Amino acid sequence: MELFNALGLNLKILLAQFVNFTIFLFILWKFAYKPMLKFLDDRKDTIEKGITDAQKAEDRLIELGAEKKKILEETLAQAKKESKEIIEIATKAGEEKRNMIITKAKEEIKDIITNEKEKITLERAQAIKDIKEEVTNLVILSLEKVLKKRIDPKKNEKIIKDIIKK
Amino acid sequence: MNISLSAETIFNIGSFGVTNSFLWTVILSIIIMIVSVTITRKAKKVPGKLQNIFEMIIEGAYGFVLSVMEDEKKAKKVFPLIFSMFLLTLMANLSTFIPGQAAITIKSGENMVPLFRSIMADYSLVFVMTLISVVTTQIVALFVHGPFGYIGKFINIGGIKEFFVQAFKGNVKFSILAQGFLDFFLGFMDIIGEIAKVVSLSFRLFGNIFAGEVLLAVLLFLAPFILPIPFKFLSLLTAIVQAFVFSVLTLIFIKMASEIDEDELVEQVTM
Repeated sequence: MELFNALGLNLKILLAQFVNFTIFLFILWKFAYKPMLKFLDDRKDTIEKGITDAQKAEDRLIELGAEKKKILEETLAQAKKESKEIIEIATKAGEEKRNMIITKAKEEIKDIITNEKEKITLERAQAIKDIKEEVTNLVILSLEKVLKKRIDPKKNEKIIKDIIKK
Repeated sequence: MNISLSAETIFNIGSFGVTNSFLWTVILSIIIMIVSVTITRKAKKVPGKLQNIFEMIIEGAYGFVLSVMEDEKKAKKVFPLIFSMFLLTLMANLSTFIPGQAAITIKSGENMVPLFRSIMADYSLVFVMTLISVVTTQIVALFVHGPFGYIGKFINIGGIKEFFVQAFKGNVKFSILAQGFLDFFLGFMDIIGEIAKVVSLSFRLFGNIFAGEVLLAVLLFLAPFILPIPFKFLSLLTAIVQAFVFSVLTLIFIKMASEIDEDELVEQVTM
């Protein structure tokens, strides 16, 4: 007890110090440490979230790029395929048309040739006929002149025809 | 030169004598509370300079407590007590370096008493904080070990009981009895150890600060110029180190009390 007196301790001052310290502790706990630690935790979470979000965005971006590239490639392949098909069809069609035109032309030429041939044959026949008539007339005339005597025309003609036939 | 072991009473409120160190305790507590609560209230997402320093201190201290406790839940519970002790002790010790304060005296009754006294050079708050520290440690131990485990740690008769159980079976082994007595003795020593904790913890802080004050007072009396400067630095070191030591010892006591030995854990499970 003497030591306590020498150190200046009494119950009142100890109680007062205890109350003081308790209030100090409580106030700091409730209004400083707790909010501050929560605040720091929140900020840590925010930063963490920010970093993960950024990472996610980056990943998404890369993904999108890959997707875009894929789509582009697909479209390109499709277009190539389609154009190839179109060219094939066009080539086929062109060839068909060409063949058709050639066939038609050939037929037309054939027709023309046939017609011309017929015409020529006909004309030749006509010419031969005409020549024959002319020759006959000429022979008759020359014979009449040679003979100077008119034989019966019917008999005459018969004789001439026989000669010609011979 | 007047060196007083006890704090001097400045004035009385009723029958309660307000001592100079108590007055400063109240003033310092209020200042710390206002500053920290204001900083916390005004906390912004992007911190300013003052908030940055405050955050750094709190975060560092919390990180330290967490590294000792190794458990987030426990650390969150114990951190306010440890850090409040540290903050108050540190500020109290550092506030003695405000120049000129020792010169102010006030008339109280017939004596002239200094208005200012280093808070930790008065045993009252040190004693209260030590009691809080030790009682908290005991409460933690009580909760962790359970009432029987807690008492069993101090009054350890398990070994002696074991001897009699074996003896009853006709197997008299004095080595067990010797071990039992040793355990009992060690348990008894634990009681003394807990009481000694109060003394060692409190007088470490009080003694260092008080001795520093006395040493400086004596030196200022003997050689007022230049010579006290190294001792001033020394007491600055003491001020910081003792604040740290006091709070960290409390932290370690609580940590030790909150731990369960493996064999005890097995015992609890098999019970």
